[in-house]
Amino acid sequence: MSERRIDAVAKATGAAKYTADIVLEGMAFAAVKRSDFPSAIIKSIDTSAAEKIEGVLGVYTAKDLPGGANLYGRRVFDVPILAAERVRRVGDPIAAVVATSREIAEAAAELVEVTYEELQAVTTASQALLPDAPAIHDKPWEYEGAVVSAESGRNVQSVDSHGSREAAEAALSKAVNVIDQTYATPGDHQGYIEPQACVADYHKDGSLNVWCTNKSPYRLRDVLSTVFGLDPSRVEIMPTVLGGDFGGKGSPGDGPLCTALSILTGRPIKMALRYTDDLLATDGRHASEIRVRLGTDEEGHLVGGIVEALLDGGAYAGFKPVVTVNLHGIIDAAIAYRVPAFFVESKIVYTNNQPKGHMRAPGSPQAAFAFESALDELGRNSGLGPIKIREINLLADGDENPYGTTWLENRGREVLSLATSQPKDLNVPDGWLYGEGIAIYARSMAAVPKTSLRLRKGEDGRVVAEVPIPENGAGGQTVVREMIRNGLNIDSDKIEVRQVSTSLLPTDAGVGGSRVSLGVTVAVANAIKAWKEMPPEQDMVEITTEAGSDGPSGAYSAQLARVAVDPATGQLRVLEIISAVDVAEIVNPKAHQMQIDGGTVMGFGFGVMEDLLEDGGQPWALTMGEFKIPNVADVPKLTTALLKGGKGVGPNNIKAVGELTNCPTGAAIANAVADATGVRIRRLPIKAEAIYWGLKEGSAK
Amino acid sequence: MKINFSLNGKSMDLDVDPMSLALDVIRGLSLTGTKEGCGVGVCGACTILVDGKPVSSCICLAGTLSDKDVWTVEGLAEKMPDLIDSFVENEGMQCGICTPGQIVSAASLSSADISNPEEIKKYMAGNLCRCTGYQTILSAVEDHLAVN
Repeated sequence: MSERRIDAVAKATGAAKYTADIVLEGMAFAAVKRSDFPSAIIKSIDTSAAEKIEGVLGVYTAKDLPGGANLYGRRVFDVPILAAERVRRVGDPIAAVVATSREIAEAAAELVEVTYEELQAVTTASQALLPDAPAIHDKPWEYEGAVVSAESGRNVQSVDSHGSREAAEAALSKAVNVIDQTYATPGDHQGYIEPQACVADYHKDGSLNVWCTNKSPYRLRDVLSTVFGLDPSRVEIMPTVLGGDFGGKGSPGDGPLCTALSILTGRPIKMALRYTDDLLATDGRHASEIRVRLGTDEEGHLVGGIVEALLDGGAYAGFKPVVTVNLHGIIDAAIAYRVPAFFVESKIVYTNNQPKGHMRAPGSPQAAFAFESALDELGRNSGLGPIKIREINLLADGDENPYGTTWLENRGREVLSLATSQPKDLNVPDGWLYGEGIAIYARSMAAVPKTSLRLRKGEDGRVVAEVPIPENGAGGQTVVREMIRNGLNIDSDKIEVRQVSTSLLPTDAGVGGSRVSLGVTVAVANAIKAWKEMPPEQDMVEITTEAGSDGPSGAYSAQLARVAVDPATGQLRVLEIISAVDVAEIVNPKAHQMQIDGGTVMGFGFGVMEDLLEDGGQPWALTMGEFKIPNVADVPKLTTALLKGGKGVGPNNIKAVGELTNCPTGAAIANAVADATGVRIRRLPIKAEAIYWGLKEGSAK
Repeated sequence: MKINFSLNGKSMDLDVDPMSLALDVIRGLSLTGTKEGCGVGVCGACTILVDGKPVSSCICLAGTLSDKDVWTVEGLAEKMPDLIDSFVENEGMQCGICTPGQIVSAASLSSADISNPEEIKKYMAGNLCRCTGYQTILSAVEDHLAVN
């Protein structure tokens, strides 16, 4: 049995300290004047009115930044701390005000006068690729970390692909049944409840302390030391509790700006975003247009497939951390299936929309919506039906996936069977149409991230575990305690788990990619072993684990959505979502179940309500009133069926779970709507209007 | 302006800017359990109890607290330890940023308001959570109200 969360009491009593709760002596507050236009040349900036406000300590623009530093990023350094000559999106920071209070700083920022010369904006991904489209960055290939060249074409952030297009085309040309459709999803936001915040405290001796809503402290340290030419050993990222993450808090956030302002003013600087600024100026999920072509033989076996994704990367590429500057979830679109000739291409382009980054399984919710909808359409059109076409084509044990990898096991058919065999106990409103839809998702989970930790003897026989990871809510620190409890056979109340600053441990890869438990468990297992072999005079062990692989392995999920549609209005009610999940051992059953439920609710939000409403270069969903995420009354009945007994990885024999259930939900609901009404929705979120017009016209818009 | 009100059972005399928000005044007293989320009265992270009713302190002027009985999560932790225990035991949280607001809203509910667990959802719909999927929060409130 699992014990309760390590952080529960502090969080339930209001004692847990988040970044916005940090107060330092002499601290000043920052706010920024943001761009009003999606694309414009800055003609002049007049800060005089702002400077006259009582309590304003200084107003700074790009020319004031220390050492001429300006560009930063997670891999591509193309994001300006303050826009210099040009703005590339609504919300680009232009001038920063430092004042004695947050309110004064915000009021003064509004008094900064900017004159612009408006430029034609690129407001959709497809527009960015037109031959006469304006160039959003003059020479994007010159940015540090860029993966494009002058030959890549205008406005391209990155292109990633897998397979042979020619072979896939040839296979499709011989297919008996084919589907060729395009699916679209909107810009989305991680929807964490804690807006991004930062406190930076630079000292004259060249040292810097930073508290930031950031889940990758070691990467943040490296970014800040690179941007400002600081000695990394003098840059210390301090422990904080994260108020939700879902990928968004991998961003350096306002760490670079607050650091610059602290260097300039000699004071600790705090900047806490209002939620509107968070919706306007952070890095959510890429809007997508994904064309899927699949073909089968007479018996329904897939013979070929082509997935072509065009993603709106927004004004900057700098929020994507991986080497490809792309989204592996798109490339992995067919990972659950046997597709003999498969080609996938993912192209991400610059536009004048908000820059996009990582959000819970980057690329996968979009790809799963497209691929699982297309497969469903093909199944229905060819007469096989949506379940049979999946049964026939899901990988079996020993099968190689389209990427040339053979996992330890493939349990797609088992989760499919489990999801479709759950009892039904629902009330369908009178006169409403009822339908069910299925979707599958699988992800690789072999990567073991590098990390480090220390076990130390405390007082009264206590063991103190010092870890580099912030607690983002997923329960990583609780997992550490449980492993130590079991490994050293001591009571939980004798174990203290403490996040320490970046100066006190060598390294960590950051929270993310459903791999915290895996990376941490490898390190903890090593530490427990070393602790047991430790000579009595020694009082601590320190473990560093390198990035590696413990695979190849993967995990599957299948979701069945049960929906009802009012034929008079098109109103959709999702009655139940069944999640069948492929698991091995479960370290903490309650935390595991919350990943399943929380993921499903996020997938449900993606399916039916979330949308940044980016239109004409302006995001219109600028409060949580317009940017809807599910509340408790919105949530359908959630049913979980665990497929136990899987072959896991790592010392605890586990499978990743954090991103298994938010990916298939959009397709499961769309497929259920098609089942109920015959209307095929190919654009998320699913709106009553689209179903209504689909029913009226016999096809969805 | 000068205001007097009861905060977590203690009488408070404060001189506040007429435009200041209850959220900022309370957090300024080092009671940082009350969180700023959406800032527009939607997410519920800033919920406080005012004369027994849940109020979004981010859209409530501090002056309106005058003569009221105000409670935050810190005070409720002392006054209603069983409610805190219910959230802890049910693990009705992950990242924890919405948790104080969830607890304050739950504190305003009594079993008399609720005839079945479904109704709890209506009362708690003003407190958003992005992590848990809500099931453990519902269990915590149900246990507290003993309506299972």
